[in-house]
Amino acid sequence: MIFKRLLRTGSKFNLDPNYKFKCGVEIHTQLKSKYKLFSLSKTSFNAEPNSNVSYFDCGLPGSQPKLNPEALYLALKTAVAMNSDIQLNSTFERKHYFYPDQPLGYQITQHYHPIAKNGYLELSGRYDNIPEDSKIINIEQIQIEQDTGKTNYDKFGQTIKVDLNRSNTPLIELVTKPDFENLEQVRAFVKKYQTIVRHLDICSGDLETGAIRVDVNISINGNPRVEIKNLGSHSEIQDALKFEYQRQKTALENRHSIVQETRGWNGKETLSLRSKEDAVDYRYVPDSELPIIRLSAGIAEEISSQLPELPQTILERLCGKTYGLELKYARFLVENKEILAYYNEIFDNIVVENKKPVKLANNWLFHELMGAFSKLDQKFDVELFPPRKLSALILKVTDNKISQTSAKILLSQVIQNPEDVQLSIDELIEQYDLGNPEDMSELELDEAVGEICQEIIETNMDVVEKIKNGQKNSMKYLIGLAMRETQGKVKASEFAKKFNNLLK
Amino acid sequence: MAHDAWNSLVSRRVADATPPESPETTTGSQLQGTTFAVKDNIATTAEATTGGSRTLESYTSPFAATVVQLLEQEGLAMVGKANLDEFGMGSSTTNSWFGTTTNARYENDVRVAGGSSGGSASAVAANLATFSLGTDTGGSVRLPASYCGVVGFKPSYGRVSRWGVIPYAQTLDTVGILARDIDTVLRVFGVLDRHDPKDPTSITTEVRGKIAKTTPSTSYTFGVPSQLIVQELSPEVIDQWTSVLEKLQEQGHKIRQVSLPSIKQLLPAYYTLATAEAASNLSRYDGVRYGHSAESAPSPTELITGNRHDAFGPEVQRRILLGNYTLSSSSGDHYLRATKIREQLVHEFNEIFNVPSVLFADAKPVQTDNCDFLISPTAFGPPPTVEEYLKKNEENFLNTYINDLMTVPASLAGIPAVSIPLNETGIQIMGQFGDDESVLAVAKDLMEMFE
Repeated sequence: MIFKRLLRTGSKFNLDPNYKFKCGVEIHTQLKSKYKLFSLSKTSFNAEPNSNVSYFDCGLPGSQPKLNPEALYLALKTAVAMNSDIQLNSTFERKHYFYPDQPLGYQITQHYHPIAKNGYLELSGRYDNIPEDSKIINIEQIQIEQDTGKTNYDKFGQTIKVDLNRSNTPLIELVTKPDFENLEQVRAFVKKYQTIVRHLDICSGDLETGAIRVDVNISINGNPRVEIKNLGSHSEIQDALKFEYQRQKTALENRHSIVQETRGWNGKETLSLRSKEDAVDYRYVPDSELPIIRLSAGIAEEISSQLPELPQTILERLCGKTYGLELKYARFLVENKEILAYYNEIFDNIVVENKKPVKLANNWLFHELMGAFSKLDQKFDVELFPPRKLSALILKVTDNKISQTSAKILLSQVIQNPEDVQLSIDELIEQYDLGNPEDMSELELDEAVGEICQEIIETNMDVVEKIKNGQKNSMKYLIGLAMRETQGKVKASEFAKKFNNLLK
Repeated sequence: MAHDAWNSLVSRRVADATPPESPETTTGSQLQGTTFAVKDNIATTAEATTGGSRTLESYTSPFAATVVQLLEQEGLAMVGKANLDEFGMGSSTTNSWFGTTTNARYENDVRVAGGSSGGSASAVAANLATFSLGTDTGGSVRLPASYCGVVGFKPSYGRVSRWGVIPYAQTLDTVGILARDIDTVLRVFGVLDRHDPKDPTSITTEVRGKIAKTTPSTSYTFGVPSQLIVQELSPEVIDQWTSVLEKLQEQGHKIRQVSLPSIKQLLPAYYTLATAEAASNLSRYDGVRYGHSAESAPSPTELITGNRHDAFGPEVQRRILLGNYTLSSSSGDHYLRATKIREQLVHEFNEIFNVPSVLFADAKPVQTDNCDFLISPTAFGPPPTVEEYLKKNEENFLNTYINDLMTVPASLAGIPAVSIPLNETGIQIMGQFGDDESVLAVAKDLMEMFE
C-alpha cells in the first residue's frame, strides 16, 4: 500500500527516456441533438428517471429504428473540424452484449464502415501548452453510435436501478492513432477537442457530466498495450496514465511481461477488468433495418462552408496585430462564445466604424465592464449592457461628453439596477446626472469649480493645514471630495488647478 | 363462441365475429362484415402479444402494428390472436409455449397445420375467421396454407409494413395474408399495401410508382425451376404439379424449364442468415424491462442468463446458438458468404422474369422470351400426422429444415409468392419483385380454371 501511495504522490512525474511512452485515446462524445439517435424521444440530462423513453429506446418487440438527421449532421461537423475524410457510404452494425442498461441486447454502432476516417488535429506549442512547437495527432476514425442507459447500484437494498433516459442518445466515438508521446499532449488534445465541440455546438463538452468520456491506451517500448476505460476528468486521465506508466515501467524493470488487457481507474490505481483472453465477442452483424448512409460527393465542402471560424483560427486572429489581445483574454473569448460575439460587435463599432484604437474596445470590455461585474460579485451578463450600448458609452468618453469616472459609475449603476436595461446611454446619463457640464460657459464653470473648492477648503481646515505644512499628497484627498461632489463631471485636473491657486 | 378444437387461437376477443357497426366504416368496403385473426407475433393492444413464447406470455404491447391499425380503421373485427411456432421458428406450429395447433382441414387425423403461421391457417380453415394475418420468413404463410387447404400470400418484401411485427429474421420477414378465397386476399392486400414511414424497410410511395407490372394476357409463360424438381417430392405432388402444367398448356399458356443454379446452395444460406438475425433480434428478451423474469438473482448476468434459459423453447435456443456461432469472430465470414449467395439468387431471379425489377437501377427493357411467372409445388407432400412429424424431427431436426426448399427461394429474393389450394397440397406462383398484383391475378385465374 505504501508503495502504491509513493507511486502516485511521488515527486514530480517524469518520463524515463529508456521507457518510451506511447498512447492513444478514444473519446465518446454525446451529441447535443434535440432527439435521440433512432427515435423521437427527447435527449435529456437531468430528467426524472425513465421519463424520456420511447418504444424503441426500451427495445419493445416490433419497434424499429429511424436515423435522426440532426445527429448525422453533428457527426459530419465533427468530422470536418477534425480534418477527416467523410465516407460517402457508411453503415450501422450491431455490437452484442448483455447488460440490464442495454435494452436491445446490442448497441447500434458503426463497425465496418464508419462515417469518417483518416483525420488529424494539430497541437501547437503556443496555443495548446505542449513542450513541442507543434504536434500532429492522427485520427483513425469517427463513428456514430447509441449510448446505453444508466445502471445505479443500491448496495443497501441490494438492487440495481436502470434509467433508460440516456439509452439511444447519439454518441460519436473518435479513435486516435497511438501518437501521443507525453502527458501534456494528451491533456492538450482532449482540451482542444472539448473547445472545438463546444464551439461548434456539437456537445456541451463537459467531462464531469459524462457528456465526454475518455478511454486511453498506453504501451511502453512496444510492449502490449493496456487500455484504461472511463476516465472522467483531466486529472483522472493524467493520474491514471502516470500510475499506469509507472506500473508498467516497474514491471519491465523487474523483467515481468505486460499483458494486453483492459483496466479501470479507482481514483488511486488501475485495476484489471479483463484480459485479452476473456474479451467479449461482440458478434458484429449489419443492422439491415437501417439503410446505408449515402452522402453526395461535395458534402465535406458544403459542411465546411457552413462552419464558423474554428477556435485556433480565432485565437490567432485575436492575438494578432489588429486585435492585440493577450492570449489569456483571447482564450477566454474562444471559450465563451457569447462574449466573443459581444467583443466582435464592440470591435466593429469602435475600430471599424469609428476608427478608434482597438485598445479602447479591449480595455472597456475586459477591465471596465467585466471588472465592474466582478467588483459587484456578479456574473457577466451580456444582456444587461448590450454591445451597442457599451460602444456608445465608449464614444461618449472619447468625445468628452462624459468623463471616464462618470462612465464607470454609470456601468456600476446599471449592473445594480437591471431595470435600467431599456434606457439608452443618453437617458442613463440624464437619469444619473453624469454628463459633462457642457452647457456652462468656461467662465461659469470656473466659478462653479471655485465655489466647490472654497467650500471644501472651509470644511476641511485640518487637511488644508497639512498641505500647508508640506504634505502635498493630502491635496488628493480634497480633489477626491470634489470629484465625489460633482459625480466626476469635472476633470480632476481642473480641481487640482483650482486648489493649487486657492491654497497658494 | 365457435369451438376451437385445434388450438389455433391463443387468445380470443369476447364477441365472436360480429364486426362493429361503425359509421366510420368505409361504406361499400368489400371486406365489410368479415373477421380476421392475427398471428400472435403481431402487436395488438387489447390482449397479450406473446410470439408463442413463454418470455412474452404476459406482455401486452402499448402500440398496435400498422397492419392491425389499417384493418381496424376499415371497421373489421378481430376475433383473436393465432398460435405459432415460437417467434416464427418452425414449420409445424408444434414449437409453441401454448401447445401444438392441429390442422382443421382433417377431421379424423391429428395432422400438423404447418408453420410457423399454423394458427392463422387453421383458424381460417376452421372458419373461425374470414381471413388471417401471418408472417412469412421462409415459407411460414405458404406452407401452412398448403397444409390447411387455404390461400396463403407472401407479398414482396417492403410492400406491407412490419412496424409492430416481432422480428425473427428482419431481412426476410414479411406479413402475409391467409383466406379461403383469393378475392379476400386481394381486398385485404388492397388495405395493407402502402408505405409506412415508421418502417424503415417499407417501400416508399415514389418507388411503388415505378414498379413495372406484367401485362395481363391469355398466354403467359410459366417457368419451372429445374432445381425444385427433387426426389423428396411425394408422388401425389408430382402428379398434381404435372396436371396443373398440362392444364395451363391446354389453356394456351407456355411452360418452360428454367435454371436457378443458386437454389442448390440456398438452404444453408437461408439458415445461416435467418439464425444469425434471430440470435441478434432475440437478444432483447432478457426479462429486465418486460417479459418472463425471476424475482431476483445474484448478479445481472445470472438474471439475464436464467431468464433466457427458462423462457425460450428448445428450437429457439437451438437457432440462437446456431446464429451466435455464425456471428462469432472465430467462425469465419459465414454471414457475408450467405449474403453473397443471396445476391446471386436475386440476380438469377431478376434475369428470369420478363418485366424488370424496380430494385435494379439499370432496368432492362421488358422482355418476351423469358418467364412471366414461376410455378412449383408449395410443399413436398401433404401434412404428416403430428406423431410422424415429431418422430422425424427427433431423429434429426434437419429433416424439418429441408421442408423449406420450395418456399425459401422467394423469401431470399424478396419476391411475391402465393400458395393456392388446387388439390390436397398447394401450388405456388412466384413473380417479379414488386409485381404482387399480377401474381394474385394469375393465381385467381388458376383457381377458377380448377373449380
